[in-house]
Amino acid sequence: MNVSFGFSQTRDHIRATNEAVGQAIIGLGNMHADLAIIFTTIEFTHPLVLKIANNLLGEIPILGCSSLGIITNKGIFKHGFAILLIGLNRQMFFNVASVKDVNKKTALLAGRELGEKLLYGYRNVRRNLSIIFSDGLINEGTSLINGLQENLGRSFPLIGGLASDNFTFQKTFQYFNKELLSESCCGVLFGGGINFGLGIKHGWKPLGKMRCANKSQGNIINEIDGRTAVKLYEDYLAKDTLELAEELRRISIFYPLGIYLPGEKEYLLRNIISIKDDGSLVTQGDIPQDSKIRLMIGTKESCLNATADSCEEAEKNLIGQKAKFVMVLDSASRFSLLGRQSLKELEIIKDTFGEETPLIGIYTYGELAPLQSISYLGYSHFHNQSISILAVGGQ
Amino acid sequence: MLNLMFLIICLIIAGMGISLLLKMQRLKELEKRAEALNASLEEMDEQAKLIIRTDIELNKTQEELDKKITGLSTLQKLSREISTTLEENQIFKKIGKSYLEELGFEKSSAFLWDNLTREFHLYLNIGYNETESLKIRDTVNENKDYYLDLMHGGKTASSVFIPEGFLSKEKICHLFQANEFIICPITPQEGNQGFIFVGTQNIETRITEGEREIITILANQIGQTLDNARLFEKTWRSQQELEIKVEERTHQLSEALEELKRISKRKSDFISSVSHELRTPLTSIKGYAAILLAGKLGALPDEIKERLAKINRHSDELVHMVNDLLDISRIESGKVNMNIETLELAPIVEKVADLLSEQLKTKNITFNMQIPEDCNKIMVDRSQIERVFINLLGNALKFTPEKGSISVNAHCSNKLIQVDIKDSGFGIPQEAQEKIFEEFYRVDNTINQEVKGTGLGLTLVKHIVEAHRGRIWVTSKLGEGSTFSFTLNCIE
Repeated sequence: MNVSFGFSQTRDHIRATNEAVGQAIIGLGNMHADLAIIFTTIEFTHPLVLKIANNLLGEIPILGCSSLGIITNKGIFKHGFAILLIGLNRQMFFNVASVKDVNKKTALLAGRELGEKLLYGYRNVRRNLSIIFSDGLINEGTSLINGLQENLGRSFPLIGGLASDNFTFQKTFQYFNKELLSESCCGVLFGGGINFGLGIKHGWKPLGKMRCANKSQGNIINEIDGRTAVKLYEDYLAKDTLELAEELRRISIFYPLGIYLPGEKEYLLRNIISIKDDGSLVTQGDIPQDSKIRLMIGTKESCLNATADSCEEAEKNLIGQKAKFVMVLDSASRFSLLGRQSLKELEIIKDTFGEETPLIGIYTYGELAPLQSISYLGYSHFHNQSISILAVGGQ
Repeated sequence: MLNLMFLIICLIIAGMGISLLLKMQRLKELEKRAEALNASLEEMDEQAKLIIRTDIELNKTQEELDKKITGLSTLQKLSREISTTLEENQIFKKIGKSYLEELGFEKSSAFLWDNLTREFHLYLNIGYNETESLKIRDTVNENKDYYLDLMHGGKTASSVFIPEGFLSKEKICHLFQANEFIICPITPQEGNQGFIFVGTQNIETRITEGEREIITILANQIGQTLDNARLFEKTWRSQQELEIKVEERTHQLSEALEELKRISKRKSDFISSVSHELRTPLTSIKGYAAILLAGKLGALPDEIKERLAKINRHSDELVHMVNDLLDISRIESGKVNMNIETLELAPIVEKVADLLSEQLKTKNITFNMQIPEDCNKIMVDRSQIERVFINLLGNALKFTPEKGSISVNAHCSNKLIQVDIKDSGFGIPQEAQEKIFEEFYRVDNTINQEVKGTGLGLTLVKHIVEAHRGRIWVTSKLGEGSTFSFTLNCIE
């Protein structure tokens, strides 16, 4: 596998694209590239940069999305254009696909459609890993995963991230070859024996009694333990609904809800997006009715410990192989919580995989990943506030 | 048999009863334990609530602290950059996008009020394209009274606090395309004032007291730097104006000096030529008078002799005067070749005193000379310096009454020798002291009407001393005598 990385933080969009793509192409030398993964920060003129990238890359398929920040081994940048060129071995196989109008089609159907497209040409080829980049403002992350896994199967992990903007939650972008998309989803399915290690952790711990979401639908919880859902937060935080609403984003980052999943060690986190007039809580991702839920608590320290655990897990899965590149899908909420300590998180990743290992990553509005990769149980979930680390070795 | 069966049944029933009782007891115990467990769970849940409430406060404080530290460190860097700027236009250019982002904002505008055009001018624009910034500028000017009130009141507006009478939060958010913002007045002590806007679209952000303080400090810093820049410009302009004025004056003075030199030269040339023209007929008059007096053309009556003697004497005086005028003119025009040599002062004074000894004796005037050994050597032209002493001592002799005293003293300092010629004469009035070195000036008093003079002696002396790069001056008090002092270069 050949890998080459390029990055530019030049303010001039055209120059930035030329610089980053140029670096990556030069870095490849005489080797070939099969796939380009592009991440940009939100303020770029996306149609323009995608057109330039396509011109420079020729027929190489492009996959990527926008983010509020770019993670590289040179640092974390609030403005930048990053590209990773991947050249696969002959034994490896991959397919890229996209689906538009996710909300209109419903996430489940869109997931099914994308899964079907990704499977194209995969008869008799062992599937290994799928990476999905989705619009950050879609409503049903879990349904998307369900739709995808219905067609792709559950024998291999599915990971991905929801594109982000500058916390304005207005519009995010996805790149698929020559197409600049929004409200869409694109992805790649690898097969034929790609070696990778995966680590997923969040670092939040349960606190207080186990509760039951006894009335919920999709991503809206109406009642918890027979009381209006918002009462849970009012009780724990000693704040009324108005006060909660004012500080909701902050509160939600520090104290999300955790869904207990039988057989899994980790709780699945759900951020609270808003409080409805009737006291129902709107979460980022669904909470099935009668789920056992608990209030979760996290600190910067626990967050960084989770990063270290996630790196360790990904490294273990590589079974002694050196990573060719590392992809980080890190929650935007973690970025908010960590603040300046985000650089510490980057240091932890670099310490694990080496200073010079190409590293590319984004901040996401939701992560798609199994709860654990070592004892993978066949289900990928829609996460909030987690960090997914994908370390890809050779064959 | 029946009895036995009855007994067994009773025993079984009793056993079952006992077992039931035991089970009931155990159930009660379990219930109690479950209750206790539930109670401790509730207790733990209450503790969890406490933990969360404490944690939330702790996080808030830490966040605020983090923001303050980042803000202060950025502010320090920014202040350092700004404070070294002395150009008003450059101050705002120092506030770059990266600094703004470090402070937690991505949009900023700064305006300064122009008293002449009566409108706000945009000096800083970050996060807006040209069309947006022009729209913001125009809208600010449409609502200028609000911003002027804010500026003059020295109040800070923010998305969490809008001062009374100012525009609504929604209007500002809409205009500046921001969710959260701070508007702070820039109030330099002199010149145009203004305000700075910083804002963010990030819905996560809530403006804190710390951020408000930091932006206020930044605005003050900008105000102070504006003051410094304006003061610098003012000083620089004054200096430039002064330099131009000095240059103009120097030019005028140079022209005046050149004109003076031209006039002086013309005067010298005139005096020189007139003197030459006068000397020839004078020589003839004096020659003929001498021939007549000597009786070479026959004996003359005494009355004619007496008149001829007068003609002769006046001719001598006139010749003397013409010679002095010629000398002055020569020295002024630099035509005199000075033969500078190292000489001893005392013998020169002694020689002159000797020349005047007869007159000193006649008037019974005491003459003293005190020239120390260590300031005896001077660098002068002998004949010229003798004329200085002849003139000064001659004057002293003329104006000192009988039984008076004249002294010549010398002392040295800084390679200069100062000679003081002091007399116990009538003294010179204060107002005349500055003028006595001018040509043909004579003090208007009765003594001068008696004592004859050309009014050129002291002028000549001054010229000779100055030609030796020395200086001459007089100190005098009426009735107490005068002291003429001059300096010459000496060899230590």
